[in-house]
Amino acid sequence: MILAALVMNTQGKPRITKFYVPLGVEKQQEAIRTIYSALSQRPEDSCSFVETEDIFGPDTKLVYKHFATLYFIFVIDSSESELGMLDLIQVFVETLDRCFKNVCELDIVYNFNKVHTILDEIVMGGQVVETNSAEVLKAVQDIWKLERVGDLNVPSVRGIGSYRSKS
Amino acid sequence: MALSGMRGLSVFISDVRNCQNKEQERVRVDKELANIRTRFKNQRGLTPYEKKKYVWKMLYIYMLGYDVDFGHMETVALISAPKYAEKQVGYIVTSCLLNENHDFLRLVINTVRNDIIGRNETFQCLALTMVGNVGGREFSESLAPDVQKLLVSNTCRPLVRKKAALCLLRLYRKNPDVVNVEGWSQQMVQLLDERDLGVLTAVMSLLVALVASNPDGYWSCLPKCVHILERLTRNQDILQEYTYYGIPSPWLQVKTMRVLQYFPVVEDPNVRRGLFDVLQRILVGTDVVKNVNKNNASHAVLFEAIALVMHLDADKEMMSQCVALLGKFVAVREPNIRYLGLENMTRMLLVADVNESIKKHQAHIISSLKDPDISIRRRSLDLLYGMCDISNAKDIVEELLQYLTTADFGIREELALKAAILAEKFAPNLAWYVEVILQLIEKAGDFVSDDIWYRVVQFVTNNDDLQAFAAAKARDYLDKPAVHETMVKVAGYLLGEYSHLLARRPGCSPKEVFHIIHDKFPTVTTPTKALLLSAYVKILMHSQPPDQELQAQVDEVFKRCESFIDAEVQQRAVEYIILSHKGPSMVDIMAEMPKFPERQSALIKRAEDAEGEPTEMSATKLRQRQNSMALVVADPGSANGGLPPPSEQLALPEPPPPAPEPAAPAAPAAPQSAYANGTNKAPAPASTNGDLLGDLLAPLALEAPPISTPSPLTQSADPGEPLALALYDQQNQIKPIGSIEDWFRALSLKDSGVLYEDPYIQIGIKSEWREAQAKMVLFLGNKHTVPLVNIRVLILPAPHLKMQFSRVPDTIPPRAQVQVPVEVTCLSASRETAVLDFSYTISTLPVNVKLRLPTLMNKIFQAAPVSASDFVAHWRAIAGPPTKLQEVVRGVRPMPVSDMGDLFNSLHIGVAPGLDPNVNNIVAATTFFSQAGATLCLVRVETDPSDRTQMRLTVASQDPNVTYEVKEFIKEQVIDIPFARTPAPTPSPAVMGLTGPAAVLAGLI
Repeated sequence: MILAALVMNTQGKPRITKFYVPLGVEKQQEAIRTIYSALSQRPEDSCSFVETEDIFGPDTKLVYKHFATLYFIFVIDSSESELGMLDLIQVFVETLDRCFKNVCELDIVYNFNKVHTILDEIVMGGQVVETNSAEVLKAVQDIWKLERVGDLNVPSVRGIGSYRSKS
Repeated sequence: MALSGMRGLSVFISDVRNCQNKEQERVRVDKELANIRTRFKNQRGLTPYEKKKYVWKMLYIYMLGYDVDFGHMETVALISAPKYAEKQVGYIVTSCLLNENHDFLRLVINTVRNDIIGRNETFQCLALTMVGNVGGREFSESLAPDVQKLLVSNTCRPLVRKKAALCLLRLYRKNPDVVNVEGWSQQMVQLLDERDLGVLTAVMSLLVALVASNPDGYWSCLPKCVHILERLTRNQDILQEYTYYGIPSPWLQVKTMRVLQYFPVVEDPNVRRGLFDVLQRILVGTDVVKNVNKNNASHAVLFEAIALVMHLDADKEMMSQCVALLGKFVAVREPNIRYLGLENMTRMLLVADVNESIKKHQAHIISSLKDPDISIRRRSLDLLYGMCDISNAKDIVEELLQYLTTADFGIREELALKAAILAEKFAPNLAWYVEVILQLIEKAGDFVSDDIWYRVVQFVTNNDDLQAFAAAKARDYLDKPAVHETMVKVAGYLLGEYSHLLARRPGCSPKEVFHIIHDKFPTVTTPTKALLLSAYVKILMHSQPPDQELQAQVDEVFKRCESFIDAEVQQRAVEYIILSHKGPSMVDIMAEMPKFPERQSALIKRAEDAEGEPTEMSATKLRQRQNSMALVVADPGSANGGLPPPSEQLALPEPPPPAPEPAAPAAPAAPQSAYANGTNKAPAPASTNGDLLGDLLAPLALEAPPISTPSPLTQSADPGEPLALALYDQQNQIKPIGSIEDWFRALSLKDSGVLYEDPYIQIGIKSEWREAQAKMVLFLGNKHTVPLVNIRVLILPAPHLKMQFSRVPDTIPPRAQVQVPVEVTCLSASRETAVLDFSYTISTLPVNVKLRLPTLMNKIFQAAPVSASDFVAHWRAIAGPPTKLQEVVRGVRPMPVSDMGDLFNSLHIGVAPGLDPNVNNIVAATTFFSQAGATLCLVRVETDPSDRTQMRLTVASQDPNVTYEVKEFIKEQVIDIPFARTPAPTPSPAVMGLTGPAAVLAGLI
């Protein structure tokens, strides 16, 4: 089972957090801090697995991938395949990339709601729902279409393109 | 760049991003929370769009790590909104902010149900996702049938059905009763025919959970899984979108192989063949390529295939193929593959006998211990720990010690502990062990617990030839600039006891030794100070002729401590100052410590207790436990000095002349004997530690007599007493149907029968002995209609037996039987029996029983037909103790001689009728087999017709140990248990005035 899916930047700021096991806010933050301190110390050519017994209990580990300024992290127990999770992270990132055209950290920050939608199409209740990036994309775009229909009566978004330049 | 589509939200996010520090961020967040709170309070005028925006903001704030303790109601209310956009936010945010026990969730069950059974597929998806993430028990009860319907529906889109599958999984986890095995297993079989790989992946996740709790119920799914695997590996009609870097859905392959590991081992030869074909193809066909992602995917499949091969008990060839592959992986540079190679190799050690082939890769594994990546170092450490045995212990432990100096803090404790355990378990000799531990203390003193140095003291005390060596080493370590306190303790103790053995060496005069120890005195803690005072007085006592100068210096130390704040130190100082002026009479009091009785290492016991899942561990554990005997056997001058010649019995604390023994039927065996027998009956480690410290210090504190002989300590309650081993745990609420004792007694004469039975399980046993070896099968039968879970089978072998058995499944399905074959080899004679430690859980009630296995001596006996002349010749050839032992046995169960003859025959001790003309006597012969070979054993019993409660028993064989054990064994069989046995008085002259062979015999005896 996947216990949590996290995206955080290389400064330790959480960008997306999704826990599939009930965990209080305090515990969540503590987990994020511990994970960050473990990851930030790892040299670049280390393996993608970190054992996390002290955070999530025995037989759990982190599987993570480092892209530019972001860590993508899945916390799993022993019933999941480590390399399989790496593949899944890759699918997640590829899907984000297709949605946001060259995804960067800012896209994820400002569109955290959309990222949640995407993540929900890939992982649900700690299990993999879909591994086919095209299928995920289709489902997500359907949702966004429906959303937009509902939002037609609200002011359109303008004038915030400049946020991108701040990073 | 696409934006969230909500201006207010984007502005808020960028405000937070612009905050210079955490303080500013908090202020901004608090302001926003206050704003949202007011807006929610005054609902009027709040548009759906605004609600949506605020709820997203709440989620964002929550992700930043702030507790959002309001607005839950509003969030949940959005679920009921008619518009998709609001509903979607409601569902997503609810599943992030709320957990399954939240009251608000109950309020929306109806809405959720309406969405699920409604016709709007997008609503269905949202509802299923939310329930799949946070659904609790109540959802389970009200939604499961609807979700099942969606999953098997042939009109729903795959998108809905795969979510339904995972939603059902969640509901099943919350309440397993929602899925009825009988009806549902057939549905699962049909679902496995699904062509859409997305749905199939989700269904496979569901199947893993179902099979894990009831493998038999879903057995019919197994052939389908094999078929799916075949289809995938052959890449037959797999859609292009579901291939990932050219590999047909690696996730589905992995999941399918995972399911297969939850089923019991496949026996059907056809299915097996098909499966092995597929696995073989995966093992052979996976190459390392340049593309990292492709590599990951193909190796994910490969590692899962290796795990499945291990599970299936594949033939030797395939296993060694796997070891070879893993061997390749532990040597590659790619860190992920190397990590998993090490991890899987460790796993393999547990299930298969591959130790030898893994040893070939030792060099690579050791080099991973120096990898910059801590994850890899940990795996390597685990593997080295697992693969260590007596042949490579020296290399591995020295490697660990070397690494200890550079290891980072995170891993040091584990490393030190593992090194200490391995050193103790597999020490080729004790000097090496002592040296390793001293090094360990020097390099990582903080992590060397007291248990470890106590153990060193025990070994040194018990082995005369080690004492000078250890003292010299201790002396050297004290010379180093920074000495850890633990080192001061162990060195202080050893030098106090044994520094006089070094007196002639340079720098080792009593005075010098005293000074070097006393240098450390000011910096150590109080308990260590007390220990050092004892060391001083001992050094003083050993300095012959008395050294006035040393005496004065030591006196001064004692004087200074006379008013020490700690009572213990103070008392010692006061006592020692007086003692040290007693002159030669002090020697009696301050003499060397007596030898310690053998006992189980607290360290090893703790390590064993700490080891994880027992079923998976059992094979390794047993192997390690056997190996751990090595140290006891290799210990030449053990405490039990007066025992028969060296054999495995060295560690058995039973001297042949039995001292008066209390019958005390229920008395547990003394801890030291428990160690020797490997039956693990030792008391809790905490109390052992306490005892140990007591033993180390008590005689010095002058409360105990200065010298106590170890033999009374090593006396134990006779483990052969049937009642003494009725180990049935009284605390269990589930009681056996019948008497464990009766079953055992019946089995001691029969080869098959019931060993244990309670309302849920029956354990049967069948054994077939051939000389020193036996094939034993345990039959574990679930009598009940629910599966028995957490099955754990541990066999605690007696030290004279080698027992091996394969892995036992975790669960026994309803009304099913599991067979556990056990191979037994008898190494030497002993009346001990192995003990089966069996536990299971029935609907959360854990049950544990410990049962003696009928590995009794008589099973190994073969009645030996001997002629009168042979008997006399052998009898004559064996002179007297210890190879021929005689004892008058009292408290015998009164029975006619013919019955006793029958009893002997039933024990495979062949009575030779007529060989002894006295009708009140029995002579019999049997052959005892052990790994060492066959031993002919002769028995003569003289009974007294006037008093049937006593008899004279004489046993003779070439092997003193066999003689002793056979004699004791016969005693146990004839004696009436409730009566105490008394020591043998002088033999009563029961045979008089006889002629013929009997007279010859009588004269001989």
